[in-house]
Amino acid sequence: METTRSTPQTGHSVGGVRPATVHRANRGLQRDRTMSGALLVAPALLVVVLLLVVPIVQAFYYSMTNWDGLTSHWVGPSAYATMFADPTFWRVLENNAMLLVAVPVTMLCGVGLAALLHEHVWGWRVFRAAIIIPTAVSWVVLGVVGIQAFAADGLINQLLGAVGLGILRQDWLGSPFSALVAVAATFVYSLVGINTLIFVTGMSTIDPTIYEAARIDGANWRQSFLGLTIPLLRRYFLFAFVVTAISAFSAVFSLIYTMTGGGPDLGTTTIEFFIYQAAFATGSFGEGARLGIVLFVILFGITLTQLRLMNRDA
Amino acid sequence: MDETLTTRAEDTRRIELGTLRRRTRHPVTTGRLAIFVTLAVVSAALLYPFYFMIETSFRSNQQYLLGSGFSLRSWTALFQGVPVAQEMVNSLGLCAGTILAVLVIAAPAGFALAKIRFRGDVFVFLGIMGSMMIPLQSFIIPEYVNFAGLHLINTYVGAVLVYVAVGTPFSTFLMTTFFRGIPDELIDAGLCDGLGYLGVFRRIALPLSGPALATLIVLRFIPVWNDFLVGLLFLQEPGVRPFTVGLGVLASSQLVSVPALMAGSLLSTIPAAIVYVVFQRYLVAGLTLGSSQ
Repeated sequence: METTRSTPQTGHSVGGVRPATVHRANRGLQRDRTMSGALLVAPALLVVVLLLVVPIVQAFYYSMTNWDGLTSHWVGPSAYATMFADPTFWRVLENNAMLLVAVPVTMLCGVGLAALLHEHVWGWRVFRAAIIIPTAVSWVVLGVVGIQAFAADGLINQLLGAVGLGILRQDWLGSPFSALVAVAATFVYSLVGINTLIFVTGMSTIDPTIYEAARIDGANWRQSFLGLTIPLLRRYFLFAFVVTAISAFSAVFSLIYTMTGGGPDLGTTTIEFFIYQAAFATGSFGEGARLGIVLFVILFGITLTQLRLMNRDA
Repeated sequence: MDETLTTRAEDTRRIELGTLRRRTRHPVTTGRLAIFVTLAVVSAALLYPFYFMIETSFRSNQQYLLGSGFSLRSWTALFQGVPVAQEMVNSLGLCAGTILAVLVIAAPAGFALAKIRFRGDVFVFLGIMGSMMIPLQSFIIPEYVNFAGLHLINTYVGAVLVYVAVGTPFSTFLMTTFFRGIPDELIDAGLCDGLGYLGVFRRIALPLSGPALATLIVLRFIPVWNDFLVGLLFLQEPGVRPFTVGLGVLASSQLVSVPALMAGSLLSTIPAAIVYVVFQRYLVAGLTLGSSQ
């Protein structure tokens, strides 16, 4: 993470020998800096420490116990070994891996729509608003509407029949795999707007004259899109990836809760839903804490990778 | 040719500023027509669920099953079955409380981290940024048990504290990035006038940070308004429930008809959709700051 400041700091001691008066004035400023800095930062620091750091440390401790919310006995690291040996755990992670497939799909849709919007055809701002609106819909509402849309006589099946793909018609939420596909499709619907907005923002930062230069050099639209736009959007791709991937791991709980309840069988139980079930449905808070730590480690990995990649070209 | 080029450059600049007013004139070509049609079709598809919600909500259950006829019966059923007004007020109150708290916490912290060099500032910055990576599901179980011990379950304070915990790291990051853009000369001038850092923050930096605060408000409103998990756990009693939780519970109870659920869904979606469309500009600003760390 970048911590260096973009601007030189006010009152920061420059080093070297200074007249005594300046030195004294500097000491007063130094005290003001420390006092004011501490005062201004204190509320944020308190919130982060008391409401985030303390509970995550607790979660780490309890993850090695058989905590039930009231009492706990120390089990030690073998608690993790037991969990990793459980096929259910891997089944749940598999669902997460499948859901991750939706991430590049969402990003591709986003880039495509952004490229179209960036042509600024007649009414493009209306289209941009229309594309963003689905992002504002809560996962609960998406779940409630999704049940209707993916039902045997629902909208999706009617649509498939209309475009000649009637062979795909099925009770989407009735079998594990197709239910996961339905969840993934709803995920794409929800996140395509924010992805489009990220790429539109990125494209608007590109200087249009370089396209003119490329055109003069004989590049066609496809060549300048692949050769100029895509590489120049690198940072935006990374950002979109992190936003979308983190959502896939940690934002879909309410959708699963309302649309599928994690089923059929374990078909749509992802790790975040599994955490809720372990802790609040079956009362094994220790198991929930363990799964929470696993989720934390996964997201930590994703974010660190992004930072690595971002700093490499910064 | 030259002219279209400059207008395009200008457009881009204005889009960034969000002030584009004049429509650029492009010749209508087959390519542009195809783009228009594609965008129209995609938009229609993406908005179809809204059409479905609206149409269905104005039917009674029987009319819905038959597929013809309209009535207000489902809307009255929704308002009879759920304390809609109470839950809406709950949701709004939670949003207002969270936004206010986050503003009061993140703005000063952002200023200090951007403009004051104090002992340990790097550690504070790294700590707050690092806590951005802690997902809600990882800390919510101990938080829930802690809050239960403090009798904060089913209180607004408890839920707001969780929302604030989730929102503080990114909001502080956003404010830090914003305040870094304020020239040091302004800060120095204030210091020379004897304002001290607290005075500089209150009289100089804060009045300049309107757009950043607006971005923060928009970015905080949506997740709290649309939240389900925090409300489900920390506000379980019907009287304190936010609207999304009421809707989710209603959906899983299967006590009401599909049209009534659609009416509720629509009601829950409208405020968030309006905020998104009207304040799009601030959303873009937030994204720009987020992707340019």
